[in-house]
Amino acid sequence: MIECVIAGERVAMLRERALYWPRGETLFVADFHLGKAAAFRSAGIPMPSGTTTDNVTRLASAIASTGARRVVFLGDFLHAKASKARSTEAAFGAFRERHDKVELVLIRGNHDESAGDPREDWRIECLDEGAAFGPFIANHHPTARQGGYVLAGHIHPAVRLSGDGESLRLPCFWFSPRVGVLPAFGAFTGSAVVRPREGDQVFVLADGDVIRVGA
Amino acid sequence: MPRRLRGWPDLRSDAVLERLESWFDDNGWSAFAFQREVWNAYLNGESGLVHSATGSGKTLAAWLGPLAEWMAENPPSPLGEGRGEGSAPPLRVLWITPMRALAGDTALSLQKAVTGLGLPWTVGLRTGDTPTSERAKQDRKLPSALITTPESLSLMLSRPDAREKLSELRLVVVDEWHELLGNKRGVQAELCLARLRRWNPAVRTWGLSATLGNLDEALERLVPLNKGVRLLYSSEPERIKESDPFIQRRIVKGVSDKRVVMDTLIPEDVDRFPWAGHLGLAMLGEVIEAIEGARSTLVFTNVRSSAELWYQGLLEARPDWAGIIGLHHGSLDWDARKYVEQGLKEGRMKAVVATSSLDLGVDFSPVDQVLQIGSAKGVARLLQRAGRSGHAPGQESRITCVPSHALEFVEAAAARRAALAGRIESREPVERPLDLLTQHLVTIAVGEGFEEEAMKAEVKSSRAYRDLTDAEWQWALDFVTRGGEALRAYPDYHKVERDEDGTYRVKQPQIAKRHRMSIGTIVSDASVSVQYMRGKRLGSVEESFIAHLAPGDAFIFAGHNLEFIRIEEMTAYVRPAKPGSATVPRWDGGRCPLSNEVSAGIRELLELHIDGLEDEPEMRAVSRLLKLQHAWSRVPRRHELLVEQAQTKEGHHIFFYPFEGRSVHVGLSALLAYRLGRVRQASFSLSFTDYGFELVSRERFELLPLLRDGLLSSENLLEDMIASLNAAELSKRQFREIARVAGLVFQGYPGQPKTNRQVQATSGLIWEVFARWDPKNPLLGQAEREVLERQLEFKRLLEAMARIGRSPIVIRQTHKPTPFAFPIMVGRFREKLTSEKLADRVRRMQLEFDKAAPPEGEHAGEIGEQMSLLG
Repeated sequence: MIECVIAGERVAMLRERALYWPRGETLFVADFHLGKAAAFRSAGIPMPSGTTTDNVTRLASAIASTGARRVVFLGDFLHAKASKARSTEAAFGAFRERHDKVELVLIRGNHDESAGDPREDWRIECLDEGAAFGPFIANHHPTARQGGYVLAGHIHPAVRLSGDGESLRLPCFWFSPRVGVLPAFGAFTGSAVVRPREGDQVFVLADGDVIRVGA
Repeated sequence: MPRRLRGWPDLRSDAVLERLESWFDDNGWSAFAFQREVWNAYLNGESGLVHSATGSGKTLAAWLGPLAEWMAENPPSPLGEGRGEGSAPPLRVLWITPMRALAGDTALSLQKAVTGLGLPWTVGLRTGDTPTSERAKQDRKLPSALITTPESLSLMLSRPDAREKLSELRLVVVDEWHELLGNKRGVQAELCLARLRRWNPAVRTWGLSATLGNLDEALERLVPLNKGVRLLYSSEPERIKESDPFIQRRIVKGVSDKRVVMDTLIPEDVDRFPWAGHLGLAMLGEVIEAIEGARSTLVFTNVRSSAELWYQGLLEARPDWAGIIGLHHGSLDWDARKYVEQGLKEGRMKAVVATSSLDLGVDFSPVDQVLQIGSAKGVARLLQRAGRSGHAPGQESRITCVPSHALEFVEAAAARRAALAGRIESREPVERPLDLLTQHLVTIAVGEGFEEEAMKAEVKSSRAYRDLTDAEWQWALDFVTRGGEALRAYPDYHKVERDEDGTYRVKQPQIAKRHRMSIGTIVSDASVSVQYMRGKRLGSVEESFIAHLAPGDAFIFAGHNLEFIRIEEMTAYVRPAKPGSATVPRWDGGRCPLSNEVSAGIRELLELHIDGLEDEPEMRAVSRLLKLQHAWSRVPRRHELLVEQAQTKEGHHIFFYPFEGRSVHVGLSALLAYRLGRVRQASFSLSFTDYGFELVSRERFELLPLLRDGLLSSENLLEDMIASLNAAELSKRQFREIARVAGLVFQGYPGQPKTNRQVQATSGLIWEVFARWDPKNPLLGQAEREVLERQLEFKRLLEAMARIGRSPIVIRQTHKPTPFAFPIMVGRFREKLTSEKLADRVRRMQLEFDKAAPPEGEHAGEIGEQMSLLG
């Protein structure tokens, strides 16, 4: 865990690939992509099982280590319609039962638009972009908004580091002056290289460590 | 005349054979002895392999047999109404060609014979280029002879009525078999042949090939010796019981009296010749002179970017040649290539700069000279290219090497010596690739379906899968039915399903459709179409090349300077680049490593040089350079390993010179870096050429004690090798092709419905998911094996290690880069291998900030667009 100050608030970047805001006891999670492997399998592309369990276990571990009372999914919670497979639903359902006190909020992203809202018995409050949480505005798309600091996902950010004759590409947290982008949480997600500007705060995920690399 | 095989009717009707001979006479030709041998053998029920240079009449040799057979079966009607009553026979000959580009020319020559002999046969094409209307017509009735590619044949087998459509098949010809032999497309052809033979055991197979070092193996792959299986093939017919039906097989050597002249352009001022680089136009003047002196010249380069540079260089130096010189490579659009080919045939072209795209097929009679820019890297390739000139009978073929750096003089001489001694490389066939097996099983399940035991026997009747284990078979079957091993079945997954009657079939039409679309993709890289914003298509390049470009980057392509704008649905949009903004393309399509025969030749020539025995003009040209090498360090003897150590501000360099070709050096450098990294934590930067490789690290390693402790030992070689190639992420990259063949990655198509996007992921991501959650998946093992066997030429690497193990090692400390070291240092192939922890490395590194980024919202939006594919 490593801390920094964003929009005047202390926040912590977790090795689990989530952002924790202690004052609001809130965990922000971007691009969960629940059931992505199941969607591939239903299309006839064999993908091993394990990614969903990993997603759910990691989320539980982030909640346990922070004591968060609320989780805000910053869009793309479900991967596709075909993700609503039995095995996937069983895994997340079991998680929900064990964490029945935690408030779950979903800011709908582009994947959720086509997949549809999650099952009602999971009790996830579904909102459109722009919901405020203290000084933060929860979005899926990383677009600046009036009235707060935007936390978003969608682009699965990674940065390229170089030096010492090598070059590495690592997923990252990326905080620019008005928008902060979280790494994709999902175990079966790719990343896209972004080019932060001077003054942005950047933290990379390196084999279970979170390391500050910029500003 | 071969002994007639039991069970075959005598089809060698004298009247028919006379008719063939008189057709030759009518055209003013006479049949070669080898052509007669092939059609007689065919009529006698035999299969086989014909090898000789391109354009020597192999096509007719294979083609006239089945025509003669049909004529004997359908004699002219006594009423004088002619043969066959005008209606075309159903499909009797399948003609498999490796390149779509060749199919059209093959069709023309097949048609010519049909017309000349006055037969009612039809000849058709079916490749990826065949329009839908033509396919629909063929679906109603196939032509008597169909020219197709391995992929399109496989696609035909995915049709439920394929068996019926192919029931009259007599012959499968595999053209340019040497081109298919060394890759998975060859294995795909083997699987298709196994199926065709099961349907009809009397189908004969004839391969047409260039000369290879392993012709016996090439034949065995094509017509496997399968004792106890439905068919019995044997080269020893007398051992076979009277009652066994069998197909005999033979190798036929084509015309071989062609004289080949091989020499090298040597510049006057050879001492100022560059020590390194492969794109340099140092010899432009000499090349122009050579082109002027010939009627029509083919200028071969090894990589496409270099073809582009030479074409531009020639045009700049000789603007008056605009219109009579051309450019030809595999990425250019079909129209552009066709125009150039036509010009060559008609003798309108003074010169054409080409890559291996012109190695094969088409006969360019007017060409009287071939120039090879840089080294040909292999003897077979040198001879193949030489054979593109002097096509007319009695003419000699002529190839002149044009070195692009000093050590290539040695390569040119080594390649010629090997060629004259008849030392031609082998093509190593691919052993039982599991990705292709899973693809084939789904293909057949989409078609008529299969029953387990019969399918297994069929697959194992192909030589590629002869040694398939029961466990591998079971895994492949499980993979297509359940996704994984029985105990770890992937939930909600049904690709191939088993009927109550035990037949395996694909039932969901969506899955069948997607599979059929992905059959044609046995290539290592997806291709992206290159197109102007305003519409004109220029050609296509590998996705990996485009992935390296940032918007605004300039590159040379199809003879134009282009600026890359953006990529959208497998199309790269470009516009003309601003003048002066051209960058050297980083585009290496078609590069291949130095062959074993040429590397052995180089080591031999260096030894002769030390002893003052060599008399090749090329060696005289580099003798001063070699003297310098010897003064600063050493010129190694044939059985000696030279190692140089030096220090620069970059760090500590270790150079090894095994002279074993780039792919072996990639493997050896990763292995040594891995072993050194176990001695103490370190990061290495690796680079390699065909002559040697270099490790650069921050600390110095004392080599003598390490060598004594087995740094180069063959012990634990395989384990260390696999560990090192994982460390260098080599197998992750190799997985690209496997993922595509096994149907894990679905390549996008222009204009495809967006719904597919949710099941798209990069092969790198899929590799990570498998490596973590299904690490024992045999496809990952296959990726390792393919890296070893194909990228690193492991067999050769083992031989090299054995040789080095017996060799004295000479270590020299040097103060400046020697002539041998220099090309490695400036080489562009750099890899990284480290034993340090990721976090420690990250802390030493820098984030590159974007100093000229567009406003944030827009920036994020652009990335968002690209991301929709990964999300």
